Amino acid sequence: MENSIPTQKIIQDLLPQKFGKSGKIWTGVLIAFCLVGMFAYYRQLRYGLVVTSMRDYASWGIYISNFVFFVAISLVGSLITAIFRLADVHWSTPLTRIAEIIAVSAIFFASVIIIVDMGSPERFYNLFTHGRLQSPIIWDVIVITTYFFISILLLYFPLLPDIKILLRFKAKAGTAMYKFYSFLGSFWKGTPEQFKISERAINILCITIIPVAFCIHTVTSWLFATTYRPGWDSTNFGAYFISGAFLVGAGGVVVAMYVFRKAYHLEKYITPLHFEKMARIVVLLALLYLYFNINEYLVPAFKMKKPEEAHLNDLFSGEFAPLFWFAIIVGMLLPIIILLFKKGRKPLPVFIVGVMVVVGAWFKRYLIVTPTLLHPFLPMSNVPNSYRHYFPSWEEWAIALGSLAGAMLVITIFSRIFPIIPIQETITEQHETEQ
Amino acid sequence: MKPSNKKLAGLLSLIFLLSCYATFSQEAPKNDVSIAINYFIDNNQVPHLLVKTKSKVDGRFKPVGDINIKLFLEKDTAGALIANMTTNGKGEATALIPPSLKDRWKASVKHSFLAVFEGNKKYEPAKADLAMSRAKILLDTSADKKITATVWEMKDASWKPVKGVELKIAIRRLDADLSVNEKPSFTTDSLGQASADFKRDSIPGDAKGNIILVAKVEDNDQYGNLSIEQTVPWGTTYLHENTFNRRTLFATRNKTPLWLLLMAYSIVITVWGILVFLVIGLFRIRKLGQEISSST
Repeated sequence: MENSIPTQKIIQDLLPQKFGKSGKIWTGVLIAFCLVGMFAYYRQLRYGLVVTSMRDYASWGIYISNFVFFVAISLVGSLITAIFRLADVHWSTPLTRIAEIIAVSAIFFASVIIIVDMGSPERFYNLFTHGRLQSPIIWDVIVITTYFFISILLLYFPLLPDIKILLRFKAKAGTAMYKFYSFLGSFWKGTPEQFKISERAINILCITIIPVAFCIHTVTSWLFATTYRPGWDSTNFGAYFISGAFLVGAGGVVVAMYVFRKAYHLEKYITPLHFEKMARIVVLLALLYLYFNINEYLVPAFKMKKPEEAHLNDLFSGEFAPLFWFAIIVGMLLPIIILLFKKGRKPLPVFIVGVMVVVGAWFKRYLIVTPTLLHPFLPMSNVPNSYRHYFPSWEEWAIALGSLAGAMLVITIFSRIFPIIPIQETITEQHETEQ
Repeated sequence: MKPSNKKLAGLLSLIFLLSCYATFSQEAPKNDVSIAINYFIDNNQVPHLLVKTKSKVDGRFKPVGDINIKLFLEKDTAGALIANMTTNGKGEATALIPPSLKDRWKASVKHSFLAVFEGNKKYEPAKADLAMSRAKILLDTSADKKITATVWEMKDASWKPVKGVELKIAIRRLDADLSVNEKPSFTTDSLGQASADFKRDSIPGDAKGNIILVAKVEDNDQYGNLSIEQTVPWGTTYLHENTFNRRTLFATRNKTPLWLLLMAYSIVITVWGILVFLVIGLFRIRKLGQEISSST
């Protein structure tokens, strides 16, 4: 943040702003995607899962890839908010709320997409009546619910002082929004005792969210690793998933901070220094994830066990090779190379790298889920040949894209209602710096 | 050349080309099928026959399914038909000697079987035959765990012992038979007998320690495949331990292992306890705010 910005100027700069023309178009496009996704989901409810391309072999398709992607990107909340806060890193303050809202919306849509994958949503009820604690699926349900709740609290507590500021601008907010702000935080008076309780709560949340975030990614990886299948039969999967989640989360923040910086003219608050530092983090995380990828693919490829041969060949040089090499090169190698150069750590290149990381990460999740299912250790006999291949139907694409649009819509609407950069924390930090 | 001759030449050329096409578009040559008949008598009951079909594909014999075979006793007549059968995916089909052929079966000590395949679109017709002598095998055990198998052949309307027949005396296990001692096979003496000492004392049996002994003659040119079984209490008792109703990782939800319940619930209670504490803190903040509002 630039030095010595008057408090009133900070407030004026960071108050939520009405959508401009591009903001309206952006929101309209997202809503359109959501509506098409909802129509596709209506068709799935009406005709059943047969409208998807999922069959006996690929019983998990892009819904589950999407779920893993959402879970992965949600880790960013714990990275930016909790780890940096506990490490007393102050430069990340303008990014904390962006990270938290990404985490909340991603984890919400992770839950939604799982219900979509069930086919009949009422089956969710069976999870409670027939769920077994021995199953990693139940662990996932427990840990996702917990992570969602912690993320909501971690978003809400630091928001209280900002709501007090928002309530001062009744005319700008409008009556309905003013009532909404009042409902959420009119009780916040900013007394030392309230601050004390709030600070302690935030610290506790920051400590709690780290193991829970590690659990959510480890448990999600165990959904795969506890089954005996080529590509999933690995003891390394927990760490592999966590490292990948950190990378995509950091990529997501980089993209979001660039977009918000441009859309809301936040250049004074999200500076090139933030991009420089986030770029260094992305390089570190990309190297870490690349290391785990080498472990996950090169070691089995070196042994080339017969039952895994078809799966690995399909990835390296077969049906999935273009996607596989795209995910490795565009999602990991190129970001590392670009960000190693100082010019590559400028806002625009970092934004482009962020997009590459996020897109590469989505396809990487698809590659983790689907090719494995097409190569079971014990192939079924007498299945139609079409079952041995999987390409999502338009309904699956529409629902998956709709859920991605939904997550972005939540972030967009949130940024319309609340300050996307914490106002009170920015003011406090400026005062501390001045002193 | 006159125009009429040109037309004639053209017509003849067309006929020639069409005839060439017809010549080159002949159907692919049919493959040969090889048929094998195997004869079995288990526990001296009604004999059954196993017919196998195979064909050479790319230099290798492979089983052929969907081959219709007519199997006859002695000769190719309607009255001697044992079965009309079709081979499965493994190229196999089985048939019992039907009751209608009982008299013909008993009338002779030697029989021949004839398998006829009349051919289809893919395969040429084929035949196979097999000649067998009627024989049986008996099994006897003594208290000192000695096993004696005797092979008999029907000759001159009575059963006569057969010398020099190779057989196996074994214990029937789940996937294969285990020899009763270190000797893999035995040969009958002049009394038609072959004896073996049981040397697998610690072998697991059923809940009562029962095991199944088996004596069998395999692929004998004269007698085919004969086998007989006998249950003896020579094994150690084995009680199957059913873990289905215990607390295991693979059990139903009400049989979750206690350690897992303890671990999972303690983690859940700890984390959610903290979260409840934080929510209470939120209510305290709210209460503090309301107190200030009411006092001002």
